[in-house]
Amino acid sequence: MKQNTEEQPRIVGFLCKWCSYAGADLAGTSRKKYPSNLTVLKVPCSGRIDPLFVLKGLRLGFDGVLVSGCHPGDCHYQTGNYRARRRIVVTKKFLEYLGVPEQRVQASWVSASEGAKFAQVVEDVVENVRAVGPNNLFSDEG
Amino acid sequence: MWLKMFEPSGPTTCLVMKVSDMEKELRQEAGKLLEEGTVDYIIGFAPGSLKFTTTPLITEDIDEINNLVINPFINNNLAKYLPEIPGRVGIIAKGCDSRSIVSLIQDKQIARQDIVILGIPCSGLVDLKKVEKLAGKERDKIDDIVVLADKVCITAGGEKKEVPTTEVLFDHCLGCELQIPKEYDFLIQEPAAEIRDYESSSKQIQELKKMSPDQRWAFWKEQFGHCIRCYACRQVCPACFCERCFVEESQPRWVSPVSQWQDNLIFQAIRTIHVAGRCTDCGECERVCPVNIPLRSLSKEMYDLVGEMFDYKTGMDVNAPALMTAYELVEAEGLIR
Repeated sequence: MKQNTEEQPRIVGFLCKWCSYAGADLAGTSRKKYPSNLTVLKVPCSGRIDPLFVLKGLRLGFDGVLVSGCHPGDCHYQTGNYRARRRIVVTKKFLEYLGVPEQRVQASWVSASEGAKFAQVVEDVVENVRAVGPNNLFSDEG
Repeated sequence: MWLKMFEPSGPTTCLVMKVSDMEKELRQEAGKLLEEGTVDYIIGFAPGSLKFTTTPLITEDIDEINNLVINPFINNNLAKYLPEIPGRVGIIAKGCDSRSIVSLIQDKQIARQDIVILGIPCSGLVDLKKVEKLAGKERDKIDDIVVLADKVCITAGGEKKEVPTTEVLFDHCLGCELQIPKEYDFLIQEPAAEIRDYESSSKQIQELKKMSPDQRWAFWKEQFGHCIRCYACRQVCPACFCERCFVEESQPRWVSPVSQWQDNLIFQAIRTIHVAGRCTDCGECERVCPVNIPLRSLSKEMYDLVGEMFDYKTGMDVNAPALMTAYELVEAEGLIR
């Protein structure tokens, strides 16, 4: 059993290169404080995020997964985030049905100018995931 | 008529199939297509080598057309073969098959003009596992199954048993949404009996939904402990048309090729999500599963989910865009902050 230590929970975040990743950068350069629990992976577009990434993240032991891209209408590739939206909500709902607590998979739109929102999102995600405890979904016991 | 398919046959003789009027009409039409050269191949159903089974028939030989059958055991979803067969193809399609065909056209895997759809009305297919259970005997010991609209007569070892038809049809047939194909080039004009039991069609899903998330996860963990990763579910699914599946990728290796419940569960969960909007609830995945994992309780839930969220019914409209390639400016509100 993993203990809820200070580094817990571990979150993996898939951030789109054009908005959310730049938003995270802005949060940094404007000295916004947010929890260090997030491991960021940069993707070219939220449309690149396969539902497989989400499950793989949980399989690798991350306690939560954050998916983030440009606001609807702002996609650098016009429609990538609209397509991502359908995929993400379907994944989220389906994983809930399987028995994955809904807090473990979260999605948010963060633009490149929303450094403060990014910091807030990370803070909320960490708090929500901490509430459901460490990820024991794929452990053999229990 | 469609429902009475089998003439009683003695216990030692092999099953004799009655050539119904529908079969005659179908053979005539299929033969004509081959003869005139309208199509290069015909895909349909032929009698199987075992009792109460059928096997897919893919032929360019006009003599083989007389093997085509229509009966309550034609359970394969033949749409699976379409992307693989070159040239123009005539395909025999039940309602659910026609939806899969339309879905393949929507996904641009096949071209409408290369396909001749021979539609047949379907009143539901018989689940042999259910019959075996009701008769208390294996299929070899069952002599005859006569399917009528309201009841099914099972004869086994001189004993005759009558049960309501709803008890022997596949679960997915009890919740069927399209009995007569909407998209077709030729349709056998016969009515289909409406045999429904929506409650038992999605009974397990409702039961699962009453459980806590932990209990549900434990349920699926237990189920996927049985999975042997034979990939029969994927191979039989017309919506699974990727040339290369993520489970076989090695760089990166997404899931272990070794059968362990964690990876088995991820495989099936991702498969279900990947075919979201393509799945027509034809129930083939569950039927072919050799270890009886209730896969339809995953696929049907996904089917209902996209139906509810995006008001989308797979394979009903050949001109509609495929679910995951389309979008509305505002939708799925409240799920992404």
